[in-house]
Amino acid sequence: MNSADKILASRIPLCSNVPQLNQNTEEEGGCGVTGFISSIPVTGKNIFEPSVQMHNRGNGKGGGIAAVGFIPEALGVSRQILEEDYMLHIALLDESIAGELAETFILPFLTIDKSEKLARIDDYHNIGLEVKPPEIMRYFVRVKQDVLDSFIRDNKLESLDRRDAEDEFVYQNSFKINTKYYASLGDKKAFVMSHGRNMMILKIVGYAENVVKYYKLEDFKAHAWIAHQRYPTRGRVWHPGGCHPFSALNEALVHNGDFANYQSVCDYLKQRNYYPLFLTDTEEAALMLDLWSRVYKYPLEYLIEALAPTSEMDFDLLTPEKQAVYKAIQTHHVGSSPDGPWFFIIAKNDVQKNQLQLIGITDTAMLRPQVFALQEGEVQIGLICSEKQAIDATLISLEREDPRFRPIADKYWNARGGSYTDGGAFIFSLVDSGDGAGSKKLICTDKFGKVIATPKGKAICDTVKVPAIDEVANKEMYSWLQEQFTAIDGQGGWNIFTCVRDRLKTFSPESFQRCIETIMGLAQQSDEFRQVALDALTLLTDRRFDTGALKRSSVLHVLKINLDAILASMPAIAKNAGEHFCHIDFSTRADLRPPLKNEQTLVLDAEHFEAEGNLCDAILLVAAYKLGWKKFIIYKYRGQRFTGCGFGPKTQGIRINVYGSSGDYLASGIDGMEIHVHGNAQDQLCQIFKDGKLVVYGDVGQTFMYGAKGGAAYIMGNAAGRPLINAVGKPRVVINGTALDYLAESFMAGDPLNGGGFVVLNGIGFSDEDGSIMEYDSPYPGSNIFSLASGGAIYVRDPHKKLVDEQLNGGEYAEMTDADWNLILPYLHENEKLFGIALEDLLTVNLKKKEPREVYRKIRPKKAVVMDKNDSGLGEACSCK
Amino acid sequence: MKPETVVIKPMPSRFKHKVPKYKVTRSDACINCGMCAKSCPYGVHERIEGHNKMRPPIDYKCIGYECRKNDEFYCVYKCPRKALSLSLNPMYETLGDCRWTSDMIIATWIMAETGYPPERTDIGYQTGNSDGGFDKLRLKFPVNPLKVERDEISTELRLNRRNDGRSNVVISTPMYGGGMSFGSVSLSTMLSKARNATIWNTFTCTGEGGYPEMLYPYDDHVITQVATGLFGVREETIQRVRIVEFKYAQGAKPGLGGHLLGEKNTESVARMREAVKGTSLFSPFPFHSVYSIEDHKKHIDWIKQMNPKALVSVKVSTPNDVDMVAVGSYYAGAHIIHIDGGYGGTGAAPDIAKKNIAMPIEYAIPKVHNFLKEEGARDAVTLIASGGIRTAHDLVKAICLGADGAVVGTAEMVALECVRCGNCESGRGCARGIASTDSELADLFDDEWATQRIVNLYHAWNYQLVEILQKFGMKSVSELVGRTDLLEHVDYS
Repeated sequence: MNSADKILASRIPLCSNVPQLNQNTEEEGGCGVTGFISSIPVTGKNIFEPSVQMHNRGNGKGGGIAAVGFIPEALGVSRQILEEDYMLHIALLDESIAGELAETFILPFLTIDKSEKLARIDDYHNIGLEVKPPEIMRYFVRVKQDVLDSFIRDNKLESLDRRDAEDEFVYQNSFKINTKYYASLGDKKAFVMSHGRNMMILKIVGYAENVVKYYKLEDFKAHAWIAHQRYPTRGRVWHPGGCHPFSALNEALVHNGDFANYQSVCDYLKQRNYYPLFLTDTEEAALMLDLWSRVYKYPLEYLIEALAPTSEMDFDLLTPEKQAVYKAIQTHHVGSSPDGPWFFIIAKNDVQKNQLQLIGITDTAMLRPQVFALQEGEVQIGLICSEKQAIDATLISLEREDPRFRPIADKYWNARGGSYTDGGAFIFSLVDSGDGAGSKKLICTDKFGKVIATPKGKAICDTVKVPAIDEVANKEMYSWLQEQFTAIDGQGGWNIFTCVRDRLKTFSPESFQRCIETIMGLAQQSDEFRQVALDALTLLTDRRFDTGALKRSSVLHVLKINLDAILASMPAIAKNAGEHFCHIDFSTRADLRPPLKNEQTLVLDAEHFEAEGNLCDAILLVAAYKLGWKKFIIYKYRGQRFTGCGFGPKTQGIRINVYGSSGDYLASGIDGMEIHVHGNAQDQLCQIFKDGKLVVYGDVGQTFMYGAKGGAAYIMGNAAGRPLINAVGKPRVVINGTALDYLAESFMAGDPLNGGGFVVLNGIGFSDEDGSIMEYDSPYPGSNIFSLASGGAIYVRDPHKKLVDEQLNGGEYAEMTDADWNLILPYLHENEKLFGIALEDLLTVNLKKKEPREVYRKIRPKKAVVMDKNDSGLGEACSCK
Repeated sequence: MKPETVVIKPMPSRFKHKVPKYKVTRSDACINCGMCAKSCPYGVHERIEGHNKMRPPIDYKCIGYECRKNDEFYCVYKCPRKALSLSLNPMYETLGDCRWTSDMIIATWIMAETGYPPERTDIGYQTGNSDGGFDKLRLKFPVNPLKVERDEISTELRLNRRNDGRSNVVISTPMYGGGMSFGSVSLSTMLSKARNATIWNTFTCTGEGGYPEMLYPYDDHVITQVATGLFGVREETIQRVRIVEFKYAQGAKPGLGGHLLGEKNTESVARMREAVKGTSLFSPFPFHSVYSIEDHKKHIDWIKQMNPKALVSVKVSTPNDVDMVAVGSYYAGAHIIHIDGGYGGTGAAPDIAKKNIAMPIEYAIPKVHNFLKEEGARDAVTLIASGGIRTAHDLVKAICLGADGAVVGTAEMVALECVRCGNCESGRGCARGIASTDSELADLFDDEWATQRIVNLYHAWNYQLVEILQKFGMKSVSELVGRTDLLEHVDYS
């Protein structure tokens, strides 16, 4: 027997004591997950905000957090004890068994270096909880030497590393506790929340942030935090046993989704003497992780492959050596790879390599939302969330605690599940920086170990301190700017933009800040000036260009502060000022009235509105529209949904500008209006889009334009999975980046040359270094493009013919005709106007200007349905009227 | 009580001869004496003065073997030359199947024609011969029920029980029409369903294929369906109606999505769905925007945002965990949970799916009903069952098992003289012009005829429902909900 077999065999007596458990899983579908890891320890307050942001992903019936990497002093132990001892956290649902439990399972086997009852607030009702959270006992423990000796002897574990044997003992001991006090009882009495080193898990029946409040963790610091909002389908839950995170030993895992093959995974685990006791698929995931990492000692890459196998064309694009290994992994795990929508965030204390890790893994089909982000600088932070606005909320919260954090990350991205490009997983590892002072540095890699980094050596604007002023330069800038503001050609905003853009290379952080603040100051003078300032700052926010010595995220931060300030300074609605702009927010929403003479644009501060329901800003927008408002600016969005929904048919002439973290279902159902999203957008945009225009100066999320009927959309960046699925009619879309997978599945948009729809896919991105346009390796890395499509076309910029037949499933490549080019040309011109992505640049390949037909390829349905009316028999002499 | 708008008018078959149950054969021995014509009160035989032969017997008017007891006019006995004989019509034997027996089809036709259950006693229409499901259940009537007058009985059903300020929709009879898309059925069929729904103050559903303009006058009685393909769904169509239905799956083919064969995707269908004529149209099997319960809630929130008055119905099939699905939908904000069992579906669903996937509806209803009760949510949600509700008796059984009402699909088609041949997917070949958008076939009947036929059918069902409530001594159909004690299983009682 090898070591792994011995470990598993040692559990046989244990497993025979497990009672017969219900076959069903505790049903739950979704949830919100969030996590971050920072190079410095930060307080529990910071997991609070993103958790609140994701209330609508849970239902308050379960929440949990995990924290990894503590400060020894805060726990009252030495660093050695913190790093070497197991931190046993026992949830006591029935406090009276505490003594019995300790005497049976702890005192005889474990040396206790420190024990305490976790502090908590006095009355759980005060924070709105309905179910009393469990009392938590925390023990810092090691296994007694003689106990461990006999455990090794009895189970013939001599070949094992002694520490591995100790790990296994701790695992088994907790398993016994859970069997006795949890699984075998109708009324649960106690269970082990976590027992890993330098980490803890806490969970309650309630929203996750209340864990922080209840156990008084607001000021408690850790390097990594993860949180989970649970959405159990059942209404009545009285203990948090089924909540996430789950842990097997040194990791905590939260999960969004569910396993379709729960039973099969369960069988796989049981055959290896892992008996799930809590009946959720999340527990299974944690157990598999433990089996593969601690017992089988898979490298992380193989572990990820076992979870999310590389498939289809992605597999073909791996090297032959990798293919051989992966094939073996896939064959072995055919029954245990979790099937179905899932997304994991794992916080891990990798004791072997002495590093802390935060890992995000998506399933191969990318069925759950996921966003990754990285911010570097004096301090570094990596974040993984279900929704981007939760990332932003975390950063805003962190900035309040330590201004070295900034509210905008340097980089946001999605993982492509089971892919050869990134493997669908990213790992943030916190390792010793080697400076001798014990400080840490954060390294982000993908599944294959490729490092993800942001440009180095760029300066950050200090938004806290007032920048020093060079009076002379300042005066000169002021008078130049003022001149632009009064320019009568209406180009003031554009001129300021171009000038600031061009000067950025030479700007110091202070002079840049001064410049933007001057613009903000000038905006206060008149309606016209406000418009110019808005135009200029918006262009600076939207466009990609070389930010010179400055970090782009910092530039965006300064722009955001000043844009928000300009918008906030608009006359309040109750003032009846009768100027062009009129400001409304949550507290003044009752003052909503029809526009007065001259009033054109309603500026809405979305901050305190709810994400959905009657107090959602989207409801207010519809009400304002019915009162006669036609132009809207919405800012300070933090994930509110349904912007533009509910206006009804024929809304031509309406224009909405969106700033901040907009939410799901934006523009879904719109018929005629125009919406500009200044920044990244989220999931489910433009469902059943009928007519109008959507412009996103960033990326869009899952199922963009599902079931759309028409309209035009321009996306500056990427689309996530399944854009344009089941779209019909005449949607016309330009995506400048790429799509993760399943682009235009079941596309049915007629004949594009006869009024039907199409997608232009440019496959380009922007350099993080200087903002210049760069080609992606392949314009479309996914396996499925245009599957089952019966109408419409995709025009893909593919000068190097990277797309191959294997990616098609029902489509075919066709020649790009003049008619095709003339069809898409106006859209590319508009694309240039909106994003500054020059047509000329698109047609330039390796510095050479090419013909359109050399650069673009057309994909159309294989059986292009050119049916003659008489032949098909589908014509109708008198159609039903 | 039926609404005042309901007027019963006889509406005979649109064909010259209906499918007869019996075959009356006249042999050469006939001497044209006219005795049979004189004695038969049903008009099977006809003798025309001056003709030297009797007219062929009109089979469908014959009441069959039970006539034997009528010594004074049973033609077979009366005939002096023994020239007449009676047998089951071979055509009749080919009609229907074990679930929808030929008797049940004929009875439905009679109800659609007259507005009342058949008076003839030779047609066993209350149960089928499937050897399972509702066919094994019987109602247990009390011996001495409370005496209740017909007009004291309410068959109303309240659809919004959430008290959330949305429309307070009440329907007059606890059933409404199932979703059939334009494309799967003809416009006349859709229209007559909608007109019936208006007359009966209940609903019909668009199915997934758009919202034809001709339905606009009936907006208040139309459920617009949002299904996985989102065909024909626009904000405007969602804002038109009082109920929006999410179709996650169909009991006849859960996990298979929708599929309109290219054959049925004619010009007008393609126009309505804004797709390409002649191509097969797929609805994916899941909503790709909904992979979990919180997505589902978001989806419902979206509809509620677009239409602040509408109720939301969630139609799901009946997998093993249908109870969880139902409870989840309730917490996500649905007003109506519509569970669709495996017996339903027209001919377009593949056999292997129809027969093997979903849980039988009679298991699913109590499972969901009880679980909702345990969760304390039963009173705040309306539970609708569908999938094989063929008769008023099935409806009553479904309610006894725990549903508040039912959705009726196939029975409405049978009222339009569907013969259940099961070739719906061929569409353009629907011999009866119901499941077809072919312009010639769809002209086989007009809306007025079809509307009255369905109105009559609903009346006959409502009539029977009231009769059954009377026998139970109940004043309202809501008293019947969940009364499994009033049912017995023929094998285990």
